[in-house]
Amino acid sequence: MRIIRACHELGIRAVAVFSDADRGALHVRLADEAYPIGPAAPRESYLAIGKLVAVARRAECDAVHPGYGFLAENADFADAVRDAGLVFVGPPGEVQRRLGEKTQARRLARDAGVPVADGTLAPLRDLDQARREAKRIGYPVMLKAAAGGGGKGMRAVGSAAELDAAWRLSSGEAAGAFGSEALFVEKLIEHARHVEMQILADAHGGAVWLGERDCSIQRRNQKLIEESPGPSVDDALRERLGDAALRIVRSAGYVNAGTVEFLVDERGSFSFLEVNTRLQVEHPLTELVTGLDIVALQLRIAAGEPLPFAQGDVRCRGAAIELRVTAEDAPRGFVPATGRIALLREPAGPGVRVDSGLFEGLAVTSDYDPLLMKVIAHGVDRNEALARARRAVRETIVAGLPTSLAFHAHVLDEPDFVAGRYDTGYVATHWPPRTPAELDESQITAAALVAVLAARRRAARRPVASPDGAWSRAGREEALR
Amino acid sequence: MIYEVSVGERRLRVDVASDGRFQVDEHIVAAEIAETARGRQWSVRIAGRSHEVTVLTHDPVRLLVDGREAEASALDERTAASARGASAARGGRHELRAPMPGLLKTVHVAEGDVIERDAPMMTLEAMKMENELLAPARGRVVRLAVSAGTKVEGGAILAVLEESE
Repeated sequence: MRIIRACHELGIRAVAVFSDADRGALHVRLADEAYPIGPAAPRESYLAIGKLVAVARRAECDAVHPGYGFLAENADFADAVRDAGLVFVGPPGEVQRRLGEKTQARRLARDAGVPVADGTLAPLRDLDQARREAKRIGYPVMLKAAAGGGGKGMRAVGSAAELDAAWRLSSGEAAGAFGSEALFVEKLIEHARHVEMQILADAHGGAVWLGERDCSIQRRNQKLIEESPGPSVDDALRERLGDAALRIVRSAGYVNAGTVEFLVDERGSFSFLEVNTRLQVEHPLTELVTGLDIVALQLRIAAGEPLPFAQGDVRCRGAAIELRVTAEDAPRGFVPATGRIALLREPAGPGVRVDSGLFEGLAVTSDYDPLLMKVIAHGVDRNEALARARRAVRETIVAGLPTSLAFHAHVLDEPDFVAGRYDTGYVATHWPPRTPAELDESQITAAALVAVLAARRRAARRPVASPDGAWSRAGREEALR
Repeated sequence: MIYEVSVGERRLRVDVASDGRFQVDEHIVAAEIAETARGRQWSVRIAGRSHEVTVLTHDPVRLLVDGREAEASALDERTAASARGASAARGGRHELRAPMPGLLKTVHVAEGDVIERDAPMMTLEAMKMENELLAPARGRVVRLAVSAGTKVEGGAILAVLEESE
């Protein structure tokens, strides 16, 4: 959707692909052409490099944008696109390989003079080596997949006793997600913030940073709320993070848009985490704050154009907050949820951007990522952005399945978040809330009446034993829903 | 008809008269109600206050009241009374249910096995994570409802365990 929008603004025709599960999806309807690539299982559709390249050739495409999921960080896909005589919108395969293997990326960062957390600089050979290294670094440590990021295969290990089980689960996850069970360990930095720097680099040696995003509000190492600028980042730290990001970009020979992730501790010292060699889900924050269109710039860079501005021209205005609304039951510990969107109202109005593929009737399945919709609020300062985010959440209705919205509503009013005091441990310590959101007497009465009305509706719809057309009446009612 | 209603922690009795008027606990409520989405959303005006109430999910009932989520239930008196009678649990029998939709990667037990409480029974892959499902009690596995490699829905019964001493 996001990519199609940029294409259409630039006068480029957009070709989409879809799996059997996505025949009715919004991106299929908005694209100029759309082609089926197989069953819902990603391995047989969205991860099938051969099929994707064949579609691109048959549709006579000039370039392929990988989006931000599935094959967006797959070097083999980038190579396959290039070998087919097409332009890959993103860094070339060899650059992705250099940064995609995480221990190699750590070495590259260290050699570029960027601080990295204590840990192994090559994949671990076996559990024995993991035990020795973890002991040397000192618990707690993070066990991570060497082949990929995104929280998959990643586990905090508090003590030697937990290492065996963590090793087994993480290598299994890593093998499933990346086809490689290689792991490495690094020192777990407690009370750290996850701060990342957006960069753009052209094919002519030009590179700029576009400001940071704080993505510390996570659960299971998956982001839920992000904001830019980071509430803990001052101008001096921003300069240092930007400088560190550009060193890595230059030393990797990076081209196109990317994100360099750091952990920042309580004292403001930072260490390199990894590079995401793709567009990020949270890129709209940077777009709102800088006024730039990152996807359009990706397309221009891929077409060989130089960056149309220099570092000094980049101006950040105001603050932005992104809420990732997911199909997860927030009150029940974020367990994944499925269902059909029965009623939908997306927020709008001043300073609110919505990136969403939802529509009423859409079946949300467990086939793909649980992200439903992104709500991004922008204001002249953090207070205005927060006020707009709160107002937007209040307007939003996603009925038909449990979502994360109760979490978002709570956090936006929670004093620590409002004060900007949070780190990656926030969700564990602040959710679920000790005191649930209270309704006043009038609201309780209204809710009670609706509970009764809804129960009566449901009872009336249930087919009863009488043969006088109750079934057909129920059928009609279903059809009218 | 009289309903026993809960909204969050609150318990209320709602009497719906045949003329459509409501009595909530001891008070007659003058509410003006408009159904704004069939079976899903109502606009309720009470003494000038305007509330929008949406039924987010039916089972359990979760409502969105002016942008705030609240759990609720409404049972007519007769159903409520019979539900109380039936709630005496069938002791000794435990169902292992999928806590979330996902792919059942491994089954660590076989029918007939006697296992300890908290022994890993299955590994469920969901949300890119592997989750070990542990035995809810010490006992014998009397039924395995699924095999490894199966995609399961949230709440699906995976196994039945008969408690033993």
